[in-house]
Amino acid sequence: MKNVTALLASAPFAALAVGVTAPAHAETRGYVISWFGTATHVTDFKNSCPQNKNGGGAEWLIRDLISIGYSKAQAVKLAEGGEVAGPLREKLAKRAVVNGKNVSIYNYPDAVPDPDIETVSGKYAYGFDLGGKNEAAKFIDPDTGGKVDNQLWRAIGCTASFRAEPPAMPFPEEVSWNAMVETSPGWSMMITADDFTKDGKVTITLDRVTQHLERDAAGNIMSSASYVIDPSPKSHNVLKGELKGGVITIEPQDIYLQAEMPFYPEMALRNAHMRITVKPDGQLVGYWGGYFSRERFSYMITSRPGHGGDSIGIYHAVKKMADASPDPKTGQNEEISSTWRMEAVPAFLTTVDGKIVANAVMPAAAPAQVAAADSAN
Amino acid sequence: MKARSNIAGAVAAAALLSASLASVQTQAASSAPTSSGEPLSWRLGPSQYRQTIAEVFGPSISITGRFDPEYRQDGLLTIGARTASISSSGIERYDELAENVAAQIVDRRHRDTLIPCKPQTPAANDDACARQFLSAAGRLLYRRALAEEEISLSVRIAGEVAKAKQDFYTGLAAALSNMLLSPNFLYVYKTFEPDPDEKGKLRLDGYSKASVLSFFLWNAPPDDSLLSAAENGEIHTQKGLKRQVDRMLASPSLEHGVRAFFADMLGFSEFETLAKDPTFYPRFTPRVIDQAQEQTLRTIVDLLVVRQGDYRDLYTTPDTFLTRSLAALYGVPIVDTTDNGQPERWIPYKYGADDPRAGILSHASFVALHSPSGRSSPTDRGKALREYLLCQAVPSPPADVSFAVVQDTNHPVHKTARERLSAHATDAACSGCHKITDPIGLALENFDTAGGYRTTENGAPIDTSGELNGTRFDGPVGLTKALHDDPALTACVATRAIAYASGRTPGRSDAELKRIQAEFGKKKYNFVELLREVSLSDALFKVPPSAAQLVTAAQ
Amino acid sequence: MKSGRQITRRRLLRGMLAGSAVTVGLPILDCVLNTNGTAFASTGSPLPARFATWYWPLGLGEDDWAPKVSGANYALPPQMAPLKPLKEKLNFFTGGQVFLDGQSNNVHFTGLQGLMTGKVANSREYLGSIDALISEVIGRGSRFRSIEVACAGSPRDCWSARVDSGVQPAEISPVALYSRIFGAEFKDPNAAEFTPDPDVMLKKSVLSGITEERQSLMKRLGTADREKLDNYFTSLRELEQKLQIQLQKPEPLPSCTIPQPLSVDKEPAVTLATEAIDRANLFGGLLAHALACGQTNVTNLAISRPQSGLRKNGDATAHHTHTHEEQIDANLGYQPVCRWFADQYMSALAQFATRLNSIKEGDRTLLDSMVLFAFTDHGAPRLHSVRNYPIITFGSGGGRIKTGMHIGRPGDQVTRVGLTIQQAMGVQTSSWGVGSNRVTSPISEVFA
Repeated sequence: MKNVTALLASAPFAALAVGVTAPAHAETRGYVISWFGTATHVTDFKNSCPQNKNGGGAEWLIRDLISIGYSKAQAVKLAEGGEVAGPLREKLAKRAVVNGKNVSIYNYPDAVPDPDIETVSGKYAYGFDLGGKNEAAKFIDPDTGGKVDNQLWRAIGCTASFRAEPPAMPFPEEVSWNAMVETSPGWSMMITADDFTKDGKVTITLDRVTQHLERDAAGNIMSSASYVIDPSPKSHNVLKGELKGGVITIEPQDIYLQAEMPFYPEMALRNAHMRITVKPDGQLVGYWGGYFSRERFSYMITSRPGHGGDSIGIYHAVKKMADASPDPKTGQNEEISSTWRMEAVPAFLTTVDGKIVANAVMPAAAPAQVAAADSAN
Repeated sequence: MKARSNIAGAVAAAALLSASLASVQTQAASSAPTSSGEPLSWRLGPSQYRQTIAEVFGPSISITGRFDPEYRQDGLLTIGARTASISSSGIERYDELAENVAAQIVDRRHRDTLIPCKPQTPAANDDACARQFLSAAGRLLYRRALAEEEISLSVRIAGEVAKAKQDFYTGLAAALSNMLLSPNFLYVYKTFEPDPDEKGKLRLDGYSKASVLSFFLWNAPPDDSLLSAAENGEIHTQKGLKRQVDRMLASPSLEHGVRAFFADMLGFSEFETLAKDPTFYPRFTPRVIDQAQEQTLRTIVDLLVVRQGDYRDLYTTPDTFLTRSLAALYGVPIVDTTDNGQPERWIPYKYGADDPRAGILSHASFVALHSPSGRSSPTDRGKALREYLLCQAVPSPPADVSFAVVQDTNHPVHKTARERLSAHATDAACSGCHKITDPIGLALENFDTAGGYRTTENGAPIDTSGELNGTRFDGPVGLTKALHDDPALTACVATRAIAYASGRTPGRSDAELKRIQAEFGKKKYNFVELLREVSLSDALFKVPPSAAQLVTAAQ
Repeated sequence: MKSGRQITRRRLLRGMLAGSAVTVGLPILDCVLNTNGTAFASTGSPLPARFATWYWPLGLGEDDWAPKVSGANYALPPQMAPLKPLKEKLNFFTGGQVFLDGQSNNVHFTGLQGLMTGKVANSREYLGSIDALISEVIGRGSRFRSIEVACAGSPRDCWSARVDSGVQPAEISPVALYSRIFGAEFKDPNAAEFTPDPDVMLKKSVLSGITEERQSLMKRLGTADREKLDNYFTSLRELEQKLQIQLQKPEPLPSCTIPQPLSVDKEPAVTLATEAIDRANLFGGLLAHALACGQTNVTNLAISRPQSGLRKNGDATAHHTHTHEEQIDANLGYQPVCRWFADQYMSALAQFATRLNSIKEGDRTLLDSMVLFAFTDHGAPRLHSVRNYPIITFGSGGGRIKTGMHIGRPGDQVTRVGLTIQQAMGVQTSSWGVGSNRVTSPISEVFA
C-alpha cells in the first residue's frame, strides 16, 4: 500500500502561487474545522450503562408523562401511539412551576425534578488530565491509556442519541452543525512549523472566518477552498504547541471561539488541551479537552428540544457531574470537564486586506481508482 | 394504399439524394439528411433565440423551455444548424416556448412597456393597435419588413382569438405566438435579388446581409439601425457596410458575438453532459460546471476584445478570472472578501511566471470538458486540441484491431496513462493515429480529469514530455508554447470565423481564406480585426451557384 | 384513422437453403394473416400493433454466447439469464453480420447504420431506421407518432431516424416525459365524459395560419431550404394532429392506467451504469403506460451512446475503455468487468419486457400484442467486429410471429432480421437494404 504521509509530501504548486507569503524557514498550513462535536466512546454499552434505563425517545416521554400524573399504562399508550401532540405536548413543555405560574421547562430546568437519568459507569472515555482532584471520577483514554477528566461524557454518555461512533456525529449536534455549516461563519486553524517532517515546536492559531463552510459534490466539506479570516480579536487564539511523532499537542491555554445557534453559540474551553494527527489524505483529526460551562452546554441541548435526548435529564446530569469552578454562594460547580472531537480539511487562509497567510496542503497522490469485477453494485 | 405510396416515394427520394456533404468528419452520431442543394438557411440556435427575445422584448422575459438539440458539423454547431430540421418533438417545445413568451409579453407587468398602443376596449379586438404592434414586432422577429398579406393574416388571427376569448391581449398573444413558431422566425433565410451593379448576377438581398452580419458579430438579430441600412441600400455599398461594421465592432454587443463564437468553436456544447464522479473529484461541484464556461469566455473577452490582444496569447496568458469555487477546484488560493452567503464574485487572477496553469488549456473548459467522468484520457484531449483548435481531423479507430497486447489497468506495471497507452504508441495498427493525439494529451496529464493539478498518478510520477507537429517539449508550458507558435493555430481560427459567418467552410487553398489569414498575421493576430476583415470580405455574402435557379423575392 | 391494419393472407414458397428456411415472397406486398384473434371481443376492431426498440451499448461479451442449436430447444447464454422467465416469448437472433462493401468501419456506428437502416455509407448519414419505417404504418393515427428516450443524459443518444428528416432527438428527463404524455393535454381513454376543449379547437385554427405562410416562403427558397421547410411542415402537421386527437373521443382501453406523477424533481447527471438503469426503469414505466393508453404505438429507448462512458461505482474506467483494456480471463473466457455491465443491461431489459408483459389486454398481454426489438452496436466490441450481432425480440406482435426460438444464421445479412420484423409489423416491402446488405426474403421460421 502506498505510504503517503501528508507531513512528508512536498507542498505542490499551492505554495508557489502568487501572493503566498513564503517565510524564510517556517511553513504555515491552513485548515477549516469541518466537524466538531462531543467526543464519544461507544464500543461498550453493556459496561458503560449497565442499568440501561434511559431508553430512547419513547421512554423519556413516558417518564415525563408519569411526572405529570399519568399512570404507567396510560403513559405507555400515549407515547407509543404517537399521541403526544398539541395541547398535551404544550402541557408537558410547561410543567415547570415558578412563582405559581406554569413556565417552559426549557427555560426553567431547575424547576423540574431531576429525572435522574443513568450516567456512564464504564472505564473508558477520550480526554485529557485537566487536573481534576477526584481520581475516582477519571476515565482512561482508550488511545493514550492515561487517566482523564471527562465528566461531560459521564453525564450524557448513556443517552442514545449521543452514542454515535465516528464518523457519525451525535444526533443533536449533527443537526445543529449541519444547519450552521450552511449559513454561519466557520472556524479556521493555522499551524506554523519550521519543518513539518521533523519533531519540533509549532504554533496553532484559531480564528473565525467570515464565510460559511463550502460543501463539495460528495456532501463533505470542500478541501482547498479559500477563506478570509475574521479580523476581530474575539475569536483569535494563538496556541503554543509541539509536533512529536506525527501528533500535535499544545501547552494548556484557554480557548474562545464564537459560533452560532443552533450549534453551541460559543466554544469556550478553559485549560484547553489538544492532540491532533494528520491523516494520509491531508485532513486533521483530533481531540480538544477542557472545562466547559455547564450552562452553555445545557443551553444548546435545551434550546432544540426533541432533537434527541432528554434535555431536562441531561441538564440535571450535567449539573450533578460538573466538576470545577464552584459558585461561591451555592457551591454548585459551574464548569464540567469535557472532550470534543474535531476534524479539519486543508484550506487557504487569507486576510481581509488580501494577504495569503496559510496554504492548503493536499497530498500528492489521490487514491487508486480501479474496478474489482466482484465488487458489489 | 396510402402507406405504400409514401414508403415508395420516400425510398425513391432518398435514392436521389446526393450521398455526401463536404468532406469533413462529423463528430456527433449524425443528424440530418443530405440534400440536393446547398442549405442556405440555418435554424436559430438556443442562444440566438434567447438573445433575440432579450433584444426585442427585454431581459425580463424568461425563457424556461427546452430546445431541439444542436448538431456539430465541420467543427461548428452553426454549420450543423444549416442542415438541422425541426423534429416533431422539437416543434412541441418551440410551441410551448412561443406560447410562454407571448403570454409574458402581454401580461400586466409587461404590456404597457412593450405594446405601444392600447386597445379601444380591452375585451374586444382592435385591428389598428394589433397592426401597429405586430408589424413592428414582426419586423424585428422575422428580421425584415413584413409583407402586407403577412400583417393582415396576423391581425386577422389576433382579431379572431380576441373575439372568441373576449380579450384583446389574448388575441395579440396568439398572433405573436404564431410568429414565434413560424419558420420565418425559427429559420434565418438567405434570399437573393438581381444585382443592379452586375447584370445577370445575383446578390444577397439587404435583409439577408443584415442577418448574416448581426448573427456573426452580435449573435443577435439585426437591430433597427441595421435593418434600416438594409432597407435604404446602405448595406450594399462598401462605405455603408464599413460604417455598420465599425459600429457593430465598437458596440458592447460585440461581446455576445465573441462569446457565442468561441462557445461554439471550443465545443462548449459538451457541457450539457459533463459530469465527474463525486467520490473521486469532490471539488467538481455543479456550480463549477457553470463557472468553467464563464471563466474561459471571460478570459477570451478580456484578452481579445477589451485588450485587443494577440489570439495566440490565449494559450499562454497567465491572466484569467476565478471564483472561490474554481480556485478550490484548481487548488489555488484566492482572496474573496464577499460577504457571507452572497453570490461568488469573479476576481481577476494572475498565475506566476512559468506556472503550468497559464493559458486556457489548463481551464476546466478544456482539460475537464474533453475528458471522461472517471479518469483523464490523453487521447480525448489530444483529439480535442487537434479538432477544435487546429482544425485537423482525427480518423476513427480501425475495425478488428487486436487488443491482446493491451494490458489491463490492474497490471502492477501500468500506473500512469502514459504506460497504459504505450501499446497505442508501439503497435503499428494503433500508432498511426494515436501519435497524432496521445503525445499532446500526455503533456497535460498533470491535470486530472476534473482539472485539478497533480504530479503523480497511483503513486508513480507523471512524465509530461510530449510532441506537437514535430516540436518536442516537456510539460504543459512547453505544449502551450509549441501551440502558440504553430501556424495551424491562427489558420484554424480564421477558417472557423469564415465558416461561422458564412455557413461554409472554405477549402484550405481558398484564395480569400489565404488573404484573410495573411491579414490576420499582419494585424498581429488581433481577433477584432479578423472579425472586421471577414465582415468586409467576399466570403461573407457569397452567392452560391445554386442561387441562380431561385425565383427571387420581388421587392 | 385507426392504427390497426387490415391484413390478408400471403402465400409462401418455402425451400431449404443451407439448413435454414428461405422464403420467396410474391410480388404482391401483403402480410401474413394471423389466425389467433387479435380483436377486442367487445368491439371487434383489431388491436393496434405496437413496436418498441431498446438499445444497449457494447454487446454481450467476448465469449461464445451464441447458442449451438437453432429452434426452440436452446440454452440461453449466462449473460441472458435474467431473460429466462420470458424465454418462451422471445426470439434470439445470432450470426447476422453487416457487410461493409468497402466502406470504412466507423466503429460503434457503421454496424448500427447497417443493422438499423439497411445502408452502410462512409458519411454519418442515418436515415429511415426500422422503427421509423414501422411507425409510418402503425404510428400515424396516434397522438405521438413515436417517443424516443435516452438514459444517459444526452438527447443525441438515439437510433431512430425518419426517412426524410433524420435522427430524432431523445427525451432525457422522465419528469418532462411524464408531463408531455400525461400532463394537461392527456385525454384519458377510459374517462366517462369527454368534451372537446374549445381552446384546443381555437389553437388548431390559429396554427393553420402558419401553414398559410408556406406558399410565399417556398417561392423564395432554394431546393435544400425547401426540403427543410417541408420537414418543418411535416412536424407542424404532427402537432396539428396531436391537437386533432385531443378533440376526438378516444377508444376505451381497459389496459390503460394512468401512472402516478414521478416523485423525483431533480434529475442528476448520469455517469454510472446503475444510474442509467434507474432512469431506464423510470422511462420504461412511462413508455408502457403510454403504449397501453394508446398515446403512441412506437417507442425507442437508448441506454447510452455506444462508446459508453458509463462506469461501475468506484471504478474510474468507463465501460467502453474496459472493452478494450480488460484482459479476457483465461479461466472464465470473458472479461469479468464487462460481463458485469452486460448483466446489468440484460436485467434492465428483462425488467422492461416483464413490465410490458404484466399489462393485460384481454386474454393476452401488451407484450404479446407488440414486438420489442433489442439491439446493440457490436456483438463483440473489443475488436469492433460487425459480425455476429445479437438481436433479441420479445412478443409476437399480436400473433404475427412465433416466439421461443433461437435463430442462428452465421454469415447471413443481419438486415434480414430487420426485414422480417418490418414485414411482421405490416411494412409493405419485399426487400430492404442496400448493396450486400440488401435482402429480399425474410426469416420465415418466425412467421406464424
